[in-house]
Amino acid sequence: MAATSGATFAATRTESPKASSERSAALILAALALPGILPAAALAQSAPDERVIALRYYDYRDWQPGVDRMSVKSPSLYAFVPLSDSLTVEGSLVYDSVSGASPLYHDAVSGASGRGIGDYRSAADAKVTKYFGGSSLAVGAAYSHEQDYISRAASVEWRTWSDDRNRTYAIGFGAAKDRINAVEGVNAPVLDQPRETYDYLLGITQVLDAASVVESSVTWSDGRGYFSDPYKLHDARPNHRRIFAWLTHYNRYFAAPGATLQLGYRYLDDSFGDRSHMLEASWVQALPYGLTLTPTIRYLTQAAAHFYRDPPFPQGFVPGGLYTADERLSAFGAVTLGLRVAKELPHRLTIDVAFNAYRQRGDWRLGGDGSPGLAKLSARWIEFGLAKRF
Amino acid sequence: MASVHEIHLCGTDRAHAERAAHDAIADVKRIEAKYSRYRDDSITSAINRAAGYEAVAIDDETASLLRYADRCHALSNGSFDITSGVLRRVWDFKRQPPRVPSQDEIDALRPLIGWQHVEWSDDHVRLPERGMELDFGGIGKEYAADRAATICRERGIAHALVNLGGDVRAIGSRADGSPWRIGIRHPRNADATIATITLDDEAVATSGDYERYFELDGCRYCHLLDPRTGMPADHWQSASVVAPLAILAGSYATIAMLACDRAPAFLRAQRVRFLLVDKEGAQIASH
Repeated sequence: MAATSGATFAATRTESPKASSERSAALILAALALPGILPAAALAQSAPDERVIALRYYDYRDWQPGVDRMSVKSPSLYAFVPLSDSLTVEGSLVYDSVSGASPLYHDAVSGASGRGIGDYRSAADAKVTKYFGGSSLAVGAAYSHEQDYISRAASVEWRTWSDDRNRTYAIGFGAAKDRINAVEGVNAPVLDQPRETYDYLLGITQVLDAASVVESSVTWSDGRGYFSDPYKLHDARPNHRRIFAWLTHYNRYFAAPGATLQLGYRYLDDSFGDRSHMLEASWVQALPYGLTLTPTIRYLTQAAAHFYRDPPFPQGFVPGGLYTADERLSAFGAVTLGLRVAKELPHRLTIDVAFNAYRQRGDWRLGGDGSPGLAKLSARWIEFGLAKRF
Repeated sequence: MASVHEIHLCGTDRAHAERAAHDAIADVKRIEAKYSRYRDDSITSAINRAAGYEAVAIDDETASLLRYADRCHALSNGSFDITSGVLRRVWDFKRQPPRVPSQDEIDALRPLIGWQHVEWSDDHVRLPERGMELDFGGIGKEYAADRAATICRERGIAHALVNLGGDVRAIGSRADGSPWRIGIRHPRNADATIATITLDDEAVATSGDYERYFELDGCRYCHLLDPRTGMPADHWQSASVVAPLAILAGSYATIAMLACDRAPAFLRAQRVRFLLVDKEGAQIASH
């Protein structure tokens, strides 16, 4: 029998190598033309097909030695719904209730400033994303309302992928129109003050290898209008603010411990002068029973705004000049320690709890002196989340 | 597809992996149901029932598979032929005692064999002779493995291994970046391996004379039948091929088994990695 079939093949030996290689190529082309053999990415980008609904509760509190300052309680709802293979819509609702007081000047909490930044805030946002072959376009809108403040914002972002999906480019534009109406402002009533901000974004995401990815973006924000804090004595800030930020994230997966290292860096240059560097590291450790444990450490070092004046208040204040005693615009270093525990439950439910502790000190600043004479500021926030996918 | 099927996913969270695996397995079952010749409601059965009569309407997927089978037939000079399944009517590998069919029995089936006689287009296929049969068994499982891999990849899975009865398709490397390591079965000892090959975003398939066979008078007769002679392949014990897709690896391995001494040259021309084991158990590897 071997002779028989060998003879059959022998009969074809006269064919040219070219004809043979054309047949080889034809077979490969026919294989690649089979439906579902090539990832859709190489043909057309399709949208995520998973619906998500998530509830979160956020509880924030900050204080100084002997004095409780603000606390914020904030429930929120998020939903993500694919409408078709190429269209998704997502949106969130959030309600913040604020109590306590923000300091009247550096760190003195006065009864008179009890209004803080508002008693409540409600906000909603929505985003629609359309996927095309190799790119996507997202259009978003947001609305936020407080007793003394209304903000309306719109954004558009275009993303495009390389054929192998290892690289993504993003370009975005956003605009916000705010209106401030602080009738009970401590310096004078602030009536119908506008603020307009335009944001621009350029980003790139690159898969480095099977286990690591790096993402980097620059954003430029240009805002004009009312930036002062109406509830701080003598607070007077420039009416033009430009912020440049550069963010980079690096994630690397380690198979042996089943964990992901997440590193982040942010450089921020604010025309107010409060230039800052932020470094962040997280370790996302998968554990048995669907548990994930994520410790995080974050360090921020910031220069003071050029119109920030050290205590004692109101040293350095000149009527008609720029001035702030806002501790958030002082020079300081700050450390955040966080721990998140997440657990996967049956029915594609995920629950998570996070605790974060924040400490801010003038003398923790690196690369310069911290602002002197400020009471230590501490904060903590707790988050509870519940997400369902289907 | 009565064999072991498994999907390994790693480098992702459990819920995500389960969802991807669920979708991939559902698609494997869909293909099995659609193309099985053992199911009356499959397209294969519908085409075979209409043999000698009318053309049967087919969808794009089936037309794509026929086109692939056509290219295989051309590349193999007719040894890879999806109409050759009718030879099973005279080659019964379960029969006790075993027997080799007579030349007359084989010759009687010849009018029913020959892909070149099949009338097909993008939307119809017709088998011209009553009793002719199409059999997607030689490509369906590998096609399903490739599709399962793509489904996982589209779900964001970067590291996975799809094993459908020994046809193995890897997605990426292992999660730690090292290649997947796949053992090649010893053709004469089911519990032993003769080699380990590495896979990185590739597939491996093995065709062997040990899957279904009988022995008679010191000769082994296996299920890989050459449609041109009606006789089993007997030059190689097994052929393992590494190719970018499982369907290519499987087709190359089958063609190699039927190509006798031309198999190494054929596989080298396809620029694929391979391991051939000859009648005496000697190995010929691509490098």
